[in-house]
Amino acid sequence: MKSIRTVFRIWYDELADLFRDKGILIFILFVPLAYPLLYSWVYTNEVVREVPAAVVDDSRTAQSRAFIRRVDATPDVEIVAHCTTVAEAEELLRRREAFGIIRIPESFTKDIWHGDQTFVGIYSDMSSMLYYKALLLATTKVSLEMNADIKVERYMHGTTDRQDEIQHTPIEYDYVALYNPQSGFAAFLIPPVLMLILQQTLLLGVGMSAGRTRERFRGSLVPFHRDYKNPVSIVLGKAAAYFGIYFAMAVYAFTIVTHGFALPQLGDLATLTAFVTPFLLACIFLAMVLSSLVWRREDCILLFVSLSVPLLFISGVSWPWPSIPAFWKGVACLFPSTFGMNGYVRIQSTGATLSDVAFELRGLWIQTGVYFVAACLIYRKQIRRIANRCRR
Amino acid sequence: MKYRGIVERLKAIFRRELGIFSRRPIFLFCMIVMPVVCVVFFTSLMRAGLPTDLPMGLVDEDRTHVTRILVRTMETFEASEFAACYDSFSEAREAVQRGEIYGFFYIPKGTTEQAMASKQPRVSFYTNEAYFVPGTLLMKDMTMTSEILSLALTRETLYAKGYDERAAMAAIRPIVTEAHPLNNPTLDYSVYLSNIVLPGILILLIMLSTTYTIGLEWKQRTQRAWFRMADYSVTTALVGKLLPQTVLYALMIVFYDVYLYRFMGFPCRCGIAAMMGIGILTVVASQAFGVFLFGVFSGQMRLAMCLSSLWGILSFSLAGFTYPTTAMAPVLERLAALFPLRHYYLLYVDQALNGYPIAYAWPSVVALLLFIMLPLAVNGRYRAAFLKYHYKP
Repeated sequence: MKSIRTVFRIWYDELADLFRDKGILIFILFVPLAYPLLYSWVYTNEVVREVPAAVVDDSRTAQSRAFIRRVDATPDVEIVAHCTTVAEAEELLRRREAFGIIRIPESFTKDIWHGDQTFVGIYSDMSSMLYYKALLLATTKVSLEMNADIKVERYMHGTTDRQDEIQHTPIEYDYVALYNPQSGFAAFLIPPVLMLILQQTLLLGVGMSAGRTRERFRGSLVPFHRDYKNPVSIVLGKAAAYFGIYFAMAVYAFTIVTHGFALPQLGDLATLTAFVTPFLLACIFLAMVLSSLVWRREDCILLFVSLSVPLLFISGVSWPWPSIPAFWKGVACLFPSTFGMNGYVRIQSTGATLSDVAFELRGLWIQTGVYFVAACLIYRKQIRRIANRCRR
Repeated sequence: MKYRGIVERLKAIFRRELGIFSRRPIFLFCMIVMPVVCVVFFTSLMRAGLPTDLPMGLVDEDRTHVTRILVRTMETFEASEFAACYDSFSEAREAVQRGEIYGFFYIPKGTTEQAMASKQPRVSFYTNEAYFVPGTLLMKDMTMTSEILSLALTRETLYAKGYDERAAMAAIRPIVTEAHPLNNPTLDYSVYLSNIVLPGILILLIMLSTTYTIGLEWKQRTQRAWFRMADYSVTTALVGKLLPQTVLYALMIVFYDVYLYRFMGFPCRCGIAAMMGIGILTVVASQAFGVFLFGVFSGQMRLAMCLSSLWGILSFSLAGFTYPTTAMAPVLERLAALFPLRHYYLLYVDQALNGYPIAYAWPSVVALLLFIMLPLAVNGRYRAAFLKYHYKP
């Protein structure tokens, strides 16, 4: 009973301290509230449309013009210039007025009527993969369509329209982009980033709080107070303070951010809650462990902010998990963000159930246990040091 | 005479700064450990260039030789690998949800039969676009496979009509589009990402350590002593203090250039010296921007560092190398000019990747030079901060 009261007092002290400290409030309130909105706004257009491209049409025939017209008609590419020479088109690339060149050879129509293959050159500026993707998709699609038309018209003329249609595409196919129907950037990137923001701001908030305690209590992570004698109560009391705030932040991310920017929302709140609880606990305990590296309040910013980018790449969200070297996979498993981001994406974006994310869930609970024990050991060491100092 | 006095002062502040570094391991961490770990991390993570052997599945209700052709065709693509066959659509979907596969083909019963009878069957394929890169790569290969499947049937018909292989191919694919990804022919993701992400992390670290070292003076109430050492000149004080970091970070970006363009062999069409020059310019610009932010908040370390973090992290988005700025809201497209990484990216693309003359990139060079001039605007605020302000936690 007494220990419960101690935990409660530590919880209250921590919370009161947090709300008095503007530096920490920026990290645990402002950033988790504002960053998701900012990011969603940056990527809200989801896809790249109308990539400017220049055309060098050496053929100048009805058929080559049809090709250009069809490319221009796709949502992905816009023809901004018709150039007479390649050099002229290259100049547009240099001035960033176009990001691709479509070059139609002189023999374009002649080849088609001769029954030879003709080659259209697509030259893409590689400053962004999305420009390349847009150009490639648009021109491939148009060439496939025109090929099918030519094939039927020239070589396999049927007796009925229906027969023409079947010759045109003997086997039809459908492509379905699951869980992100427009292949959008926001719908792919924002959900995992929401989880990363939670972990990173926790590292910063807990780290700054530890730095403050160290500054106040001559380098000790534990205040000189009779409540702070049992490491388990300290860890539980502090964790309770952060858990309360971050649970609200997580719900905010799941609901308001997700609805506001029309991000994928297939997960139900109960599953998300069951998943996010071990995630937050693992993050909080990890933050306590890492906060032992923080000697001054501001140290935490230097230590943790730059980790965000490698953590995003190591998680397998952008660079696929099967292609990550084994060593980095091992490193990735040390951070709750890896399991958190993958689990969250699968629950919220693909509608997975808890049993579908069993691997991630287990990983998070193991981390929670390990980091809890580690945090307790660190505080115990601190308490002993204070005790030794007092005895001397 | 006065000139020599300044040099002596700068030297004294420089030595004092090195003493501060030696007492704090955190400087070692963010000036040397973190940048080196990052360069090793990113280049080894993406050493394959493009992801290969992405697991995919098949729901084959037809089970004929035609569907096996499809599997074989799919297997020949580098990016994909058949991981499993599923009995039903929902089993495959659950495998996607469990993250075991990134996509799958669905071939309904009777596909071959209908194709043989010219009844135009329909196959479908699905990719998990919640994972963008693997989803897109699989989509590309699966589209190709479906086309090939369809064309294989047409080719059989054409052979039956007496066409030879060349004529048949010309009939099937009269127009071939040849993609030429300029200057990155293998679509190497490491070339595309490491070249910008690494300097981006460095810029973030530079801005943070700039505001941190300056702020530390106020925090330890040594700002007056420092100011006295500089003979009450803001410029001397700041230059002397930041010069050690300039040297270290300049060496780091030179190391990056050597590592990426010599050791990894990434394309560098402007010559490595030009990239080193651009890198050092960016280092100084980022430092100057950190100094400016600290001055704007007249010595409030916490706010300056928070804003530096915001700036540094946001620059990965607004530099526009993953998602182009042209596709963002017009306001953001203009705001992007306020981020040093954006200019580094534009210069890198123009110089190293494409090898254009520097004349095409002059606005970015000017922008970086303007960043370097920014501290002049807050000179007065620094003076006030030195004399009046105290550290606020």
